[in-house]
Amino acid sequence: MVNLTIDDKQVTVAKDATIYDAAKSAGIKIPILCHDKKLHPFGGCRMCLVEVEQMKGRLIPSCTTPATEGMIVRTSNEEIVKARKLVLELLLLKHPVDCPVCDAAGDCDLQNLTYEYGVSKNPLSDEKFRWEIDYINPLIERDMNRCVHCGKCARICDEIVSFGAYTFINRGIDAKMGTAFDGPLECEFCGSCVSVCPVGALLSRPFKFKARWWAMQKVKSVCSYCGTGCQLTLGVKDNKVLTTIYDENQGFHNGQLCTRGRWGYQFVNSEKRLTTPLIRKGSALVEATWDEALALVSTKLGEAKSAAAALVTPRLTNEELFLFKKLFTEGVGSENLDHSAGYAHAALTDAALKGLGEAASPSVIADIQKCDLLLVVKSDAYETHPVIGFEINLGVKRQGVNLRIVSDKSGKLSRLPGAQTLLHTPGSELVLFNTLANIIVTEKLVDASAPLLDGYAALVTALSSCTVEKGAAVTGLTPEALVALAKEYAASEKALILMPLGLGYPGHGSALAQSLLNLAMLTGRIGKEGSGVLFMGEKNNSQGAADLGIVPGKNGKDAAGIIDGCIAGTIKALYLVGENPVVSYPDRKKVEAALSKVDFLVVQDLFLTESAAKAHVVLPACSFAEKDGTFTSLGRNVQKITKAIKPVGSSKSDYEIFNKIHAAVTGKPLYASCQALFTEISESVSGYAGLTWAKLGSNGVVRPVTLSPKLVPVVAPAPTAEAGKFALLTGSALNHCGTLSQYGEGPMMVCPEGYVEFGRADVKRLSLVEGDKVTVSSTAGSVTLKAKLGNRLSEGVVFAPYHFNDNSINSIATGAPVTWVSVAKAK
Amino acid sequence: MSHAAVQKKKIEEAPAEEVDLTAANAIIDKYLTLPGNLMPVLQGIQDEYGFVPPPTVALVAERLNVYPSQIYGVLTFYSQFHLKPRGRYIIRVCVGTACHVQGAERIVETFFGKLGIGHAETSEDLRFTFEKVACLGACGMAPLAMVNDDTFGKMTVQKVDEIIAEYNQRPMK
Repeated sequence: MVNLTIDDKQVTVAKDATIYDAAKSAGIKIPILCHDKKLHPFGGCRMCLVEVEQMKGRLIPSCTTPATEGMIVRTSNEEIVKARKLVLELLLLKHPVDCPVCDAAGDCDLQNLTYEYGVSKNPLSDEKFRWEIDYINPLIERDMNRCVHCGKCARICDEIVSFGAYTFINRGIDAKMGTAFDGPLECEFCGSCVSVCPVGALLSRPFKFKARWWAMQKVKSVCSYCGTGCQLTLGVKDNKVLTTIYDENQGFHNGQLCTRGRWGYQFVNSEKRLTTPLIRKGSALVEATWDEALALVSTKLGEAKSAAAALVTPRLTNEELFLFKKLFTEGVGSENLDHSAGYAHAALTDAALKGLGEAASPSVIADIQKCDLLLVVKSDAYETHPVIGFEINLGVKRQGVNLRIVSDKSGKLSRLPGAQTLLHTPGSELVLFNTLANIIVTEKLVDASAPLLDGYAALVTALSSCTVEKGAAVTGLTPEALVALAKEYAASEKALILMPLGLGYPGHGSALAQSLLNLAMLTGRIGKEGSGVLFMGEKNNSQGAADLGIVPGKNGKDAAGIIDGCIAGTIKALYLVGENPVVSYPDRKKVEAALSKVDFLVVQDLFLTESAAKAHVVLPACSFAEKDGTFTSLGRNVQKITKAIKPVGSSKSDYEIFNKIHAAVTGKPLYASCQALFTEISESVSGYAGLTWAKLGSNGVVRPVTLSPKLVPVVAPAPTAEAGKFALLTGSALNHCGTLSQYGEGPMMVCPEGYVEFGRADVKRLSLVEGDKVTVSSTAGSVTLKAKLGNRLSEGVVFAPYHFNDNSINSIATGAPVTWVSVAKAK
Repeated sequence: MSHAAVQKKKIEEAPAEEVDLTAANAIIDKYLTLPGNLMPVLQGIQDEYGFVPPPTVALVAERLNVYPSQIYGVLTFYSQFHLKPRGRYIIRVCVGTACHVQGAERIVETFFGKLGIGHAETSEDLRFTFEKVACLGACGMAPLAMVNDDTFGKMTVQKVDEIIAEYNQRPMK
């Protein structure tokens, strides 16, 4: 610790603190323009100049100067104020000072400091910049005339996003922030640069001229896209969510967001929102009252009883999921209940439950930056959960985490310093991880705790046939690479495995998860800080759905069984809550047949989705911005969302709808509030015990796990292969999440449609040009998609994201880990 | 046409260049394992190609794992790098203080007129690049011009014709 005096105040800070940090900790405000707590000190703007008794003769930049023992610091005096004023005068010399038409006004550091220091006239004069404003990309307006050269955009894009879109170009007075070749911005569009820009040089285009900053209400909430659980601040005015507002103090991610989180909010106030219940009259869906619709749904569900089935989205709140389960199992009397678990989340609901005794990850998000070795299964951790991707970037670049990627394709993570990517044959993951486990056993790298676990002997026996030679042959990797990885993994003191889940990653989710758990248990990694396995649930409340048991009961059917049951006629009534299986579940033809066949289909959703269009009753639900409740993140953080606007049209929250149906089918009284349900959850769900609404606070509470590790052998079938065909891998596109982001304008602006991605060798072989139409055919059907040229896929492997309705990839993919397809240029 | 559409059109109209990357790859191979290898690689490429062709920037970015933007930042920071082809003969006319008072501007204007190119521009046949520079360090010879490494002191308007004629004779290789 270091002791120093700042403005006559005694301050004690950590050894690595700067003068600025020390002042901040003592509540003394030093003005800054270029400093950001998330970034390395830069010292570019000279606003934070202070006087240090021991370094007299010049003013010292406080943001880059370490605090040292006995320092006597003065943060303001006449000379300092004069120096700061000069900085502002110099900046204002070239700045257009067009605050009346600048969206940053009110939230602009330059404007606020000019006001604070009373810079009302400028003794200097010069021409203004005349940089052309970049209006080309749809999301970020770049007006370099307003730039103050703090470099934060370039620094955040490098340090945290690891994309590197920006740089200082040119020199001296001609210098400006620009891109490679000063061209248009072609990046991931996470908008981190916009969030840290202290002025109006980088602005959100969708928000342009929508509202003055001070006129908006700022409501804290949690993002409703992926399972990361990023906290959001919504900018609200006139019952509309107009933007997301950056708050560097929010969440583990310090306010960092991705494209969907930052720019995908428009679905809330979309004109496509359903505003009234609909009931089918012949071939048309006709507007109806809530009373009619709810009465019909309650009656039909009540009649169907055990022949009723429900598929519920894990985007709902914990309270809603909890209430729905009661409604459905106790009220309707059916156990045919599932979310996309059957297809996408079996890693949690099956493997983790069997192997750990809890349907949850043993590790938490904070472990990413604490581990020594990070093993990422599939490169897509970045695409499925971009903000987790930022955590990985930070871990590797700042904490020296060793990154190993085991995947069927390389990705952005592969380019991180020191990262090694093991590209395996598509579909050979299970063989690969069984082989690694066997190497750990045969090389005697097993932790002393492992032989004491249940199932150890059986696992060792089962693994004995998984030899390195066989593993190498199947995975396409060299025996040396496999042995090296196994040894490295076993030798690292803290090793963490990340596995993204989701509807785009079908086939062997449960088995793969179990094989990873086995690996972690064999090396004694479960329950240790910075170690273990982190399953990354696809949706904002995937973990909550797993916690609350939104899975089939003992005699119930899972998602696949429900679809089959509809076709067979054994399921008479199907209740879809927020799920859009027509687009997202494997085998579109079969799903469509099932929804057409079932006697009674009720769909509760925000939009008239492809699935809702087939319904007998459609119930308009509310978005996350229109309700209170809790979500549980993939790191088990239980966080509150807050109602920001009134329900759109006459839509009702899923809680309200369930509450009424629950009362109707059970005859019990209505719940008074969702808080009452949360209390019931805390009383009945293990892991939530002791949690109260108040305790959750603004940062949530990471719910604990009680683990009882058990080794379970995994059967690893050899991957399929078809000569002359391409291996189609499905998954998530960086800018999208599920099918919801189709209604978010931002994601659709940068990634408006499905595509099929090729690697270099195939691009050359097929003489493809970006945007060429190609027809991709499997035994299930064929779709025509635009070709995307990449450099991350091996020859004979193609990738396609699943989110889109048009030419949906589930028309050709039927749930196998790898779909074999033929590809031809479309005429 | 909207502003954005005009900007987009400009970009689309820019011709795509075909560059043989063999030499660039060889230069990268040479420095691949050297720490801080970006500068020598770029210098090597400039020596080889006479400028830094944009496709080599993408190549260097990928092989050295550096952002293309950063490379562009380096290239535009140092005046030694050029992103456009340069002439075989670089004419530099000093416009520093001593040369200025000796009428350097008239020399410059004459070169402009005769060559049909302005400051920092290159003739279409890639024979000449013209640059105004601030002080070549030989003020006693003001006004001064240089063509590659040849020096021409006590410049006059008449001498401009002679110099251009002389270097028009010289070979392009």
